[in-house]
Amino acid sequence: MTPRAAALLLGAALLAPAARAPAGPAPSGPAAPLAAFRQEFDAVCARTQDAMTLPDEELRALVARCEALKPLLEKLGESERKVYGRRLQACRDLYQFVLDSRAAAPAPQAAPSGTPAR
Amino acid sequence: MSRGRAARALLLALGAAALGWDFPAPHSYGRVVLDNFASRAKAPPVAFDHFRHRARYTCRLCHVDVGFAMQAGQTRVSAATNRAGYHCGACHDGARTFAGKPIFAACSEEQPVPQVGACRRCHVEGAKGLAQQYAAFSAELPKRPAGGHVDWEVAEANGRIRPLDAVEGVSIPRPPLKMDKEVALAARSAWMADVLFSHKKHAIWNGCEVCHPALYPAARQGSARATMLQISSGESCGVCHDKVAFPLAECQRCHVKPVQ
Repeated sequence: MTPRAAALLLGAALLAPAARAPAGPAPSGPAAPLAAFRQEFDAVCARTQDAMTLPDEELRALVARCEALKPLLEKLGESERKVYGRRLQACRDLYQFVLDSRAAAPAPQAAPSGTPAR
Repeated sequence: MSRGRAARALLLALGAAALGWDFPAPHSYGRVVLDNFASRAKAPPVAFDHFRHRARYTCRLCHVDVGFAMQAGQTRVSAATNRAGYHCGACHDGARTFAGKPIFAACSEEQPVPQVGACRRCHVEGAKGLAQQYAAFSAELPKRPAGGHVDWEVAEANGRIRPLDAVEGVSIPRPPLKMDKEVALAARSAWMADVLFSHKKHAIWNGCEVCHPALYPAARQGSARATMLQISSGESCGVCHDKVAFPLAECQRCHVKPVQ
């Protein structure tokens, strides 16, 4: 047996049990939707600490992503709905708050021109 | 102390006394009784003492990341949510540790709450022994001269406490908050010093979502002013102050801007 063939056989032997092993239970019940929800939730709500520095377009996009997550909540278990429903709403409302605050702020005055009007 | 300042301090004390503001007993200050489901399950309600947790965790961690509401009865915490690893169970799962010690599991028993045992650490009746527990807990912490409450701000500045702001698997990794804007709020009486509201002091423990927009919605600058009557009724600053954060009787801690 050539060394190459021996290595191939050894590799096959090492991989075989893994290939034969029964696959773990696929995420089912509330676990699978929760994993998908958590991934997007973590991404969307990671910006609350620096929300006041984000441009309006980005804030609007984040609010829209929060809204898009709401239907996914319904697929979660009762405990998850209680907790993440509150957290998602707080996160969405903060982004909207920053937008509303900017809209309520007085418009910045035009910079005085160097040349007096004639 | 100058005559003017002494007179103002006396006026403040008289005003606070007239409004019924006082220094509540520090050991029972911040106690919250949770009884959405316990009594129906023939178990004593849960008595949560804020002081035990606020030395270790920021307000934001529990009220934002873990999801505890600021209003009584809104969280709907239950044995089921705790066992599922939410609410108290987010930390009290028997596996997490604090300072090298395991944090006991909340609602780990499937049976009804027994008279003794782990359940009774939270499901307690009355406040027996609470004053002694508080005294032992706060022995090394700085206190306010009036009322004897722990001065949490000084405690943190001195490194006596180092509240954690994140729990792995619960909190979302986020950049640290940079918000040091101070807001001057004009007092409604000419003799009273104006309030200088520090975002820095508040945001470091609370983040943004605890207050905005639920307590303070977007408004034109200068239009968001609450009266002391509203505050003492539990609105605005009164959601925390006079309940968990320092009492309203400490007027000078907010009304800091000298009268012109």
